[in-house]
Amino acid sequence: MLRVSTYAIAAVGLLAAPMAQANENVLELIDNPELWATQLGNYQGHRYSQLDQINRDTVGDLRAEWQFSTGVLRGHEGGPLYVGDGRLYIHTPFPNKVFALDIEDQGRIIWSYEPDQDSRVIPVMCCDTVNRGLAYADGRLFLNQADNTVIALDAESGELLWSVSNGDHTQGETMTMSPLVVHDKVIVGISGGEFGIRGHITAYNAETGDMEWRGYSTGPDDEVLLDPETTLMMGEPVGEADLGVSTWPEGEWERGGGAPWGWVTYDPELDLIYYGTGNPGTWNPEQRAIDGEPADNKWGITVFARDPNTGETKWVYQKVPFDEWDYDGINENQLIDVEIDGEEVKGLGIIDRTGFGFLLDRETGELLVAEKFAPETNWATHYDMETGRPVVDEDYSPHTQGVDVNTTDICPTAMGAKNMQPTSYSPDTGLIYAGINRICMNYEPHEVEYVAGQPYVGATLTMMPAPLENDEGMEGRMGSFIAWDPVKGETVWEIDERFAVWSGALTTAGDLAFYGTLEGHIKAVDIETGEHLWQFKTPSGIIGNVNTFQHEGKQYIAVLSGVGGWAGIGLAAGLEDPEAGLGAVGVFAALQDYTELGGVLTVFALPDS
Amino acid sequence: MTVIVKAGWACAFAAGVLGLAVLAGGAAESLADDVADYTVIDGNVDPNTREGYTVYSRACMACHGPDGLGSSFAPSLIQAAERRSFEEFAQTIAEGREIQPGQVMPSFADDLYVMSNLVNVWSYLKARADGGLGRGRPGIIEDMQEDEES
Repeated sequence: MLRVSTYAIAAVGLLAAPMAQANENVLELIDNPELWATQLGNYQGHRYSQLDQINRDTVGDLRAEWQFSTGVLRGHEGGPLYVGDGRLYIHTPFPNKVFALDIEDQGRIIWSYEPDQDSRVIPVMCCDTVNRGLAYADGRLFLNQADNTVIALDAESGELLWSVSNGDHTQGETMTMSPLVVHDKVIVGISGGEFGIRGHITAYNAETGDMEWRGYSTGPDDEVLLDPETTLMMGEPVGEADLGVSTWPEGEWERGGGAPWGWVTYDPELDLIYYGTGNPGTWNPEQRAIDGEPADNKWGITVFARDPNTGETKWVYQKVPFDEWDYDGINENQLIDVEIDGEEVKGLGIIDRTGFGFLLDRETGELLVAEKFAPETNWATHYDMETGRPVVDEDYSPHTQGVDVNTTDICPTAMGAKNMQPTSYSPDTGLIYAGINRICMNYEPHEVEYVAGQPYVGATLTMMPAPLENDEGMEGRMGSFIAWDPVKGETVWEIDERFAVWSGALTTAGDLAFYGTLEGHIKAVDIETGEHLWQFKTPSGIIGNVNTFQHEGKQYIAVLSGVGGWAGIGLAAGLEDPEAGLGAVGVFAALQDYTELGGVLTVFALPDS
Repeated sequence: MTVIVKAGWACAFAAGVLGLAVLAGGAAESLADDVADYTVIDGNVDPNTREGYTVYSRACMACHGPDGLGSSFAPSLIQAAERRSFEEFAQTIAEGREIQPGQVMPSFADDLYVMSNLVNVWSYLKARADGGLGRGRPGIIEDMQEDEES
């Protein structure tokens, strides 16, 4: 008996040793340009590859090598991982299947895993049953299931190693985001901002699944893991205690949302993780005001920089205090080193939901640049660079206009000028490449009562294509793919698309930028000019991310298609023509005329010469 | 001017108030078959149908898409209003449905706001399906608005 115990302890010890190095393993994989080991390509969220076999000269010959149906309808976000073992690891929306596919045998299924989940989780997923993908470290895959179960699988066999519950779907909590492994911890967020949840980010031990720390988005400082004496805001200590409580009307912070459902990035040198929090609970601003006056609702729509070891908050930057538009601020924070007036700056770039392109100092959280990448943006005229706060235009302020009043022609729409679709940063050009949405809205707030597990929205909205600026661009277009200069704060080039561009971008050392469209095209363009070079029509609309990797000397491009998400819900039937008046049949393009549901992985390569 | 009235319970009321040429759609149907009750005049509707639009936009649109048109997530309810009876419609809302794995309609039995407005939502969807009501937020017919307020 004693011997058995000793052996068991020794075995755990052996397992524990490599897991403590998880960060080292991920760093090693990221450093290998042949691999695509994290959803965003590297810890900094660049979605850039040094591979150049597929390049400006050869991309015209790019062709589909094989396709794989996931057997799941619904929106397919995220993308495949390649960690050098000859397999692609992919995932699906609910029921959250996981597949290990053999690259050398045209996607033969080496193993698959399907969790057993309560289907009642489906109707509490506000905007489709999406999932943004797997994380990998030290022979393990990590997945956030829709029903809030975080799991670790043995990548070799698909065997379940551990599972832990991160929330309760009967309270409206769900999971859609992709975990990130930092050190020996799996960092996970949560979804449910439309159900009055209280958002949090949590670290689980990668080996055991034990919770290491949890930081809430709202509430008292000791639960937010924030120290007003040391945590910085615009470069100064926050100062006042418990702003996560006092900037809300009585008790509203308990259902204050701030769900971190987007991507997490990590700076290994500063040892800080970065992520954004979502909308502050109900979409009716009146219910979040204090005595009728706008209140900051901290820490909704805030960029957090946290110590991954303890969860302690190094700095915060609230992009939108007192949200009135559902500018759910989860957009990824790209960690980019830039030069400003001859000085090297550790920057943090955001192509934000609000229509503004931000550049922050990622050491201190100070705001350096805030300019509109979507020129139609009108809810704020500009950002006050001293205070870091937006200057709101009252004409487009639903709170100013009032409850049960329809505030019209607000740009961008609640979907944001960019939603979750992750951007790409090329160190070669210094530009950020982003699929964006060109959609505006009418927004009417209404009183809503909180009932646990029921929608807690409190506004209705209608959407329409953004007006053209100076008659330039494609009439009725609802999206664009842009190259953005994060330091100058200006668009370098822009390609208009019929629908919102809801896919993750990729750039490569082959001087190419890739993106997908809602009709289902994957496109390659010249990274310098935006010139269209190649496209292929996949079976369904693309809301997944374009990834690349090299196996046995051959570079591949791979993407999940499968339309859905909020884009599929909002655009399926097409948008109204705001000029046509009541009773008009929508004249703008309807997504359902171009594509249907269905998850498919398509893998591309150049023909063997 | 286009006037379309579909009356279940309140046909005489609507016609009387309006004093206008009326195209009565449901004359031959019994109340049990169809309780839809709407008036559409030039894209404007009666207050109850407008309430149906509001309830739809608050409770149904997030999954079923704008203006009843359906989405990539859930089917068109305009089509449902054409094909199903009010009874089936009300039952689905109250009980929910698992249509197929991965496609689930929740129960609204505990949602008093939705349950007390079932006829209004049905009237709105029928107005969209059969009554020539277009997309977007319909205005309220002026005469009927005054009637409501008085």
